[in-house]
Amino acid sequence: MKLKLNGKDMASGIFLIVIALAGLYLNMDHNLGNARRMGPGYMPMMVFWIQAGLGLIVCLISLASGPDPLEKWTGMDAGTLVGGIILGVIAWKISPSVWSFFGQTYNAVGLGIMVAFIVMAFSAGWKLLAVICASICLFGLALESGGFFLALTGLILVSCIAEHTHTKKGVAGLLVFLLIMCWWVFIYELDIRVNLWPQT
Amino acid sequence: MELLITNLMHGFGVALSIQNLLFALLGALIGTAIGVLPGIGPVATISLLLPITFGLPATTAIIMLAGIFYGAQYGGSTTAILLNLPGEVSSVVTTLEGYKMARNGRAGAALATAALGSFFAGTVATVLVAASGPMLTQVALSFGPADYFSLMLLGLIIACVLAQGSIVKAIGMVVFGVALGLVGTDVQTGQQRFTFGIPELSDGIGFVPIAMGMFGIAEIVLNLERPESRSVMSTKVGQLWLTKEEFRRATPAVLRGTIVGSFLGILPGGGASLAAFGSYMMERKMSKGRHLFGTGAIEGVAGPEAANNAAAQTSFIPLLTLGIPSNAVMALMVGALIIQGIQPGPRMVEAQPDLFWGLIASMWIGNVMLLVINLPMIGMWVKLLQVPYRFLYPSILVFCCIGVYSLNNNVFDVYMTVAFTVFGYVCNKLKMEPAPLLIGFVLGPMMEEHLRRAMLLSRGDWSVFVQRPISATMLGIAAIALILMAMPNIRKGKEKAMAE
Repeated sequence: MKLKLNGKDMASGIFLIVIALAGLYLNMDHNLGNARRMGPGYMPMMVFWIQAGLGLIVCLISLASGPDPLEKWTGMDAGTLVGGIILGVIAWKISPSVWSFFGQTYNAVGLGIMVAFIVMAFSAGWKLLAVICASICLFGLALESGGFFLALTGLILVSCIAEHTHTKKGVAGLLVFLLIMCWWVFIYELDIRVNLWPQT
Repeated sequence: MELLITNLMHGFGVALSIQNLLFALLGALIGTAIGVLPGIGPVATISLLLPITFGLPATTAIIMLAGIFYGAQYGGSTTAILLNLPGEVSSVVTTLEGYKMARNGRAGAALATAALGSFFAGTVATVLVAASGPMLTQVALSFGPADYFSLMLLGLIIACVLAQGSIVKAIGMVVFGVALGLVGTDVQTGQQRFTFGIPELSDGIGFVPIAMGMFGIAEIVLNLERPESRSVMSTKVGQLWLTKEEFRRATPAVLRGTIVGSFLGILPGGGASLAAFGSYMMERKMSKGRHLFGTGAIEGVAGPEAANNAAAQTSFIPLLTLGIPSNAVMALMVGALIIQGIQPGPRMVEAQPDLFWGLIASMWIGNVMLLVINLPMIGMWVKLLQVPYRFLYPSILVFCCIGVYSLNNNVFDVYMTVAFTVFGYVCNKLKMEPAPLLIGFVLGPMMEEHLRRAMLLSRGDWSVFVQRPISATMLGIAAIALILMAMPNIRKGKEKAMAE
């Protein structure tokens, strides 16, 4: 008999169950109360049990609803994912002691995520997702101390790596156009509160 | 009737102010633009513009956002007819007959049919919203907390039943959405739930980062993965008018499409795409020109286009009267209202008459504008299609990032958006629908509140949900819908219908 496992459904089911179990574990801190006077933990308890049950059903159905396998992962995909996460966590934990800039607000977190995505960008399977996400992280890191224009320039330049048909001229034109348009829409018209130029 | 006219006059008074007219026009223009462009839909656009609406008066903001939604229905058909590429999901079926008509040299006629059909349907649906709104509101005011809870449950379940793909997975996504909605401070006890000590999470996970990550940026990544296949079209648009024969054939199709669309738009989870699809099926079975289907039958353009626009308007009914979003766009509207400090619900008609009647009047005005925007200016929109995606996506990205940041002036939201981008990407790879999650996320906190209130009133007796007739009916319908979908042959029928 041919195996009819639906890999996508199986993974979705496991995802739902894992989240639900984590939620139930975290929910142990909250007072349940009773049905008449529900405490803060009552609704989460119900929601996560239902979610776990649904996850289980999805898993069971997946045994026979396939075949619909997950996309194949190359060794590079798996390696960069694991490597990215490890390096990202290291960057997150260590960076504040290297430069005080990373001790402020969420800069260390942003750097950690960005490092992880930069590593992942080396494998073909993750490249597009990783480049786009890394460019957003760069924007987040640069915005408050580097200013509006610097952050946008970084965001636009990095995100353009994702599409190989870009030409140098095209990117330069796009950059100028977007900087002017964003300045006009967000600073001139909407007047959002943000630094325009690098802070000393 | 007289009251209705007075109210509508009041609405037109609101909608015809210079500012509201300008923003309705802006919404219609943006809507048409994103409708024409494949790869960016109303959900992404509206979430993108949510932070910008912050500074506008509530009525103006909603008028503009609504304009984007129904504008997209007009714009979507242009791409479908001229390029055989649906600009929006709701215009998928328009490609079937519309593109054939264009190949036959009747592109102009197809475009005119789509625009006129949409306009007619929009007008009828707007009247329907105006007439049924206050009536339904009266009914809704008699609802107790238990009834509300059951109504929301019904809404969530029907949204899942009508979603594409596996129902169990869709319900799983709804429940996960509700779970995400639990994060933050518990309203009644003030206790922090699932916040991990992060102060930014004590108000709950932001609505905008979720919507933008999952519908805006994740979409960009997925679009980039598919190589660009858009070619500049060479078909001539031709005369923008219908022959007598075409007019005669299109009229009944438009009428049927309007009825089907108005009805399916009200259903939770329905909305524009389902309506267009339903109308197409109906035309193929019932219209006089059914033997011509596949060769460019005008009925196959007129019906679905009328239906998707009618549905886009009537899907405001559950939102405006009950405060319940019936699809992802309406979930965003709830978000927009809450940002403005307005709690959507049956009291909105009385508490915010300007918003309610102004919105309805602006819908009709918007439809008139769209007719003008689309028919004589069609050439301009075709030009827009020549902008390659490699220039579009950095622009979308830039707007998303600044928008997210400016919501709270906090980079935390930027990183949240990254997280939900990854999540949205994974969901797509696992064939999990993101729309049910968004609806669950919006409805979750309201459901918890009503559940707690209902149980407090009933002194902990769960049977209150089946004892109250309204609540019991809702739960009954929900159960029937679930059982029907669990039956194998009906499910197969749905799958077959979706596949076509």
